[in-house]
Amino acid sequence: MNEEALNTNTESTANEQSLPASLGLNAQLFVFQLINFAIVAVILWFLILKPLTKKLEERKKMIDESIDNAKEIETNLALSEKEYQDKLKEAKAEASKVIEKAHTEAKQLGEDMKVKAKTEVEGIIDQAKKTIKNEKVQMMEEIRQESATLIVTALEKILNEKMDGKIDKKIIEDSLNSLKK
Amino acid sequence: MSEIHIPTFAPETIFHIGNLAVTNTAINAWLAIVIFLVLGILIKKSVKNKPNKLQNAAEFFLEIMLGYFDQVTGDRKKTIRFLPIVGSIFFFILLSNWLGLLPGTGSIHVGENMLLRPANTDLNLTLAIALVSVISSHVYAFITIGVFTHLGKFIQIKNVIKSFKKGPMAVFTAIIEFFVGLLEIISEIAKIISLSLRLFGNIFAGEVLISVISALVVAIVPTPFMLLEVLVGVIQAGVFAMLTLVYLHIATSAPHGEESH
Repeated sequence: MNEEALNTNTESTANEQSLPASLGLNAQLFVFQLINFAIVAVILWFLILKPLTKKLEERKKMIDESIDNAKEIETNLALSEKEYQDKLKEAKAEASKVIEKAHTEAKQLGEDMKVKAKTEVEGIIDQAKKTIKNEKVQMMEEIRQESATLIVTALEKILNEKMDGKIDKKIIEDSLNSLKK
Repeated sequence: MSEIHIPTFAPETIFHIGNLAVTNTAINAWLAIVIFLVLGILIKKSVKNKPNKLQNAAEFFLEIMLGYFDQVTGDRKKTIRFLPIVGSIFFFILLSNWLGLLPGTGSIHVGENMLLRPANTDLNLTLAIALVSVISSHVYAFITIGVFTHLGKFIQIKNVIKSFKKGPMAVFTAIIEFFVGLLEIISEIAKIISLSLRLFGNIFAGEVLISVISALVVAIVPTPFMLLEVLVGVIQAGVFAMLTLVYLHIATSAPHGEESH
């Protein structure tokens, strides 16, 4: 009975030992394959995956930075555009003011010049009037003297008599006075 | 009809280097290493902000993968943190699976044995990757949330001690939580087994299927199955990588109620 039990135990132990072996499990081969996998992992990581992921990260960072820069540039551009528009508006307003001022000044200047011209014209007219008046007086004087001479000559001829200077003068003055009247 | 050569579970030894047996699956793994090395050197040498065709293609696949990983982690920084493990697992499994579909795999023989065999039809390799996956999740957790906080998820003695002040119901809950913690330890072992066996099973089954079909009808008929294997290769790589990512994400998250302490 004991012998049978012992035999059964031995058989089962032999079966248990043979199961991994029948599946091809072997300590030496296992270590060998483990080393193979470790080599693959090292090669894959250091030669392929690490450089590629690093490059992907770098590229992603670069793209993100470029997008940020582009956004910043866009914002700056919009600000510049706004500033430009503001300045343009300001310049337009200023230009309008300058033009308006120029208009006002021109108008004022025109008015002033008109007044000045009027004054000058009036002065010239006055001057002319005065000159004319003077000339008239002078002419009248000349006419009076001429008339006196003519009258004297005419009287001399009419009367055919010689009068002296004092009588002539008196006659002339009387004639003139009568003319004035 | 040619002789049907169904692969065994164990990989076949092709030659020995000293005492070390070099199997046909190891040769396939080396092939993957060489391809990654060449690609890696080319990419590393030419990596620029303005990518060339190779970099562009690599970035295309990487971006797609990162997009999927982001859906799990919800954060690109976290994804990049886990990428050395998860990315390596994904690309290695994917390339190993696809290399198994190359002409010559399963058909070139050295003596009785196949010279090339898909690397993931070796349980040693799938177990190694699964162990790396689960152990790395614990290492990341130790670094992120602290050794004691992480260990506290499995051995919840602190809650049992605290519960004595709160009454019998709290003690009962704490004892249940304690045993749930112990179950978590078992689930960690289950993770390793399920990860390794799932990948091994799927790829091994595919290899057996293609071997049988190719032996029955040499041309055209195996093509749909090979196309199916291309899909299985991607899916299995994705499942393994995603599960690893989930383990990493869960392990590095603070335990429930931790914030309130």
